[in-house]
Amino acid sequence: MDLNYVMATFARVGAGIGTTLKLFFITIVLSLPLGFLITLLERCRVAPLRVIAKTFVYLMRSTPLVLQLLFIYFGLPLLPGIGKYLELQRFTATIVGFVLNYAAYFAEIFRGGLLAVNQGQHEAAQVLGLTPAQTILHIVLPQMMRVAMPSIANETITLVKDTSLMFILAVPEVLQFAKSAVSSTGKTFPFVVAGVIYLVMNLIVTWALRRIEKKFEY
Amino acid sequence: MGPAAAVTLEEIMKRTLCLILSALMIVTLLAACGGSAPAAASSAAAAESGSQPAADASSAAAGDNNKLIVGLDDQFPPMGFRNDKNEIVGFDVELAQTVGKRLGMEVVLTPIDWTTKELELNGGKVNVLWNGLTITDERKESMLMSPAYLANAQVIVVQKDSDIHSLKDLAGKVVGLQDTSSADDAYAQCSAFGTESQLVKAADNVSLFNDLKIGRIDAVVIDKVFADYYITENGEGKLRTLDDQLADEEYGIAFKKGNTELADKVLTELAAMVKDGTAAEISKKWFGEDRVIFKYSK
Repeated sequence: MDLNYVMATFARVGAGIGTTLKLFFITIVLSLPLGFLITLLERCRVAPLRVIAKTFVYLMRSTPLVLQLLFIYFGLPLLPGIGKYLELQRFTATIVGFVLNYAAYFAEIFRGGLLAVNQGQHEAAQVLGLTPAQTILHIVLPQMMRVAMPSIANETITLVKDTSLMFILAVPEVLQFAKSAVSSTGKTFPFVVAGVIYLVMNLIVTWALRRIEKKFEY
Repeated sequence: MGPAAAVTLEEIMKRTLCLILSALMIVTLLAACGGSAPAAASSAAAAESGSQPAADASSAAAGDNNKLIVGLDDQFPPMGFRNDKNEIVGFDVELAQTVGKRLGMEVVLTPIDWTTKELELNGGKVNVLWNGLTITDERKESMLMSPAYLANAQVIVVQKDSDIHSLKDLAGKVVGLQDTSSADDAYAQCSAFGTESQLVKAADNVSLFNDLKIGRIDAVVIDKVFADYYITENGEGKLRTLDDQLADEEYGIAFKKGNTELADKVLTELAAMVKDGTAAEISKKWFGEDRVIFKYSK
């Protein structure tokens, strides 16, 4: 095992890092706000909206992500009538699937965070004369985020690893290139390389999330 | 809460908003970069890297019979796999590329998950499956299969100094094969193994060979093409193939059922390649001999 081989394998497996990171960032940026929106819908006064939100969360959490991806990419175009407008490109379909799925999980995390904010806080805010908007922005949200951050960190780290599911829609990424390398060379070292790549990515993600958590420590 | 605490919270909210806005801007930038890449990649004659640009190009060209969008498994040497530079190469790959070039069609190599191949073909995301696809009656029903172009068999690989020399020596031994492969079917139909053999099913072929080399299993049932390739690359002097073979089978090329126009175009060209010796050349390059058995007439 010489250095050249190690470097070559890193280059080979690492070719997928760009796609993995793209999916990761796009999913995080889109699914967090969407998740929060769904949490708000779940507590809405309009009953149909509440039902839609709760059904959405149930569907997304109860079926495997792989199945959802297959459905979005292969199944949507088969719908009568609107099918032909729903033909998505591979990476687009992947993003849609990941964002919807993770938004559902984040919605539940935010809901848990909101529950953790003591009812007394709302009452105190009322006594102090704060408007509902001020209460939510300055009192409720910060406390909710403090409680939700560890769970959000959990989901984010899971997302880094879930990106490997892109293979089902034939979008090559780190693990896929590792598997190709293993089957064509017969050596298992590329798997080690893939493992190291994921470890490094998650090291950075964990560090960043910890720093964000610190900001909510009050 | 004193004024100092209130400022801190407001700071945090503002900073979070800034973070989200800047993240959105970065994402828009990335999306813009990703958007220009497919345009550049699809102008290349054969998308060798098989990365995301090719994946998007294949979706866009669904149903476009001017491109040969080849669905393949990039983990099946020597039919289709990736070399050290991550380029997709292989016997089937080269055949497809040659046919495409001769027909003046752009060849888009699309590595797909082999379990979704029917979905990809029927959904029009790829228009031909070309990668060591065994011809079976079921597949003939659901896809437009070409006549056989390569003969394959399931062979049995053992360690060089093993005491197994024929099928009946396998009674009572530990035999490994790949789950849901045609090796699986061949084994089930072969009575020579008897009930004393122990069967081990693995997800991929390389781990089977690793187990064989270590001695955890006594024999591997596998496609002849893969066995020949693996032994040449990795097992020279350590592994050998038994003379007895199982389940002669044949490889074919599959098109979407009803797509006779493309099938005709491609298969006629392939027949021409067989006639003028190009196919034989490619076969000798990958297998050391001419193993192409293709015959086609309209």
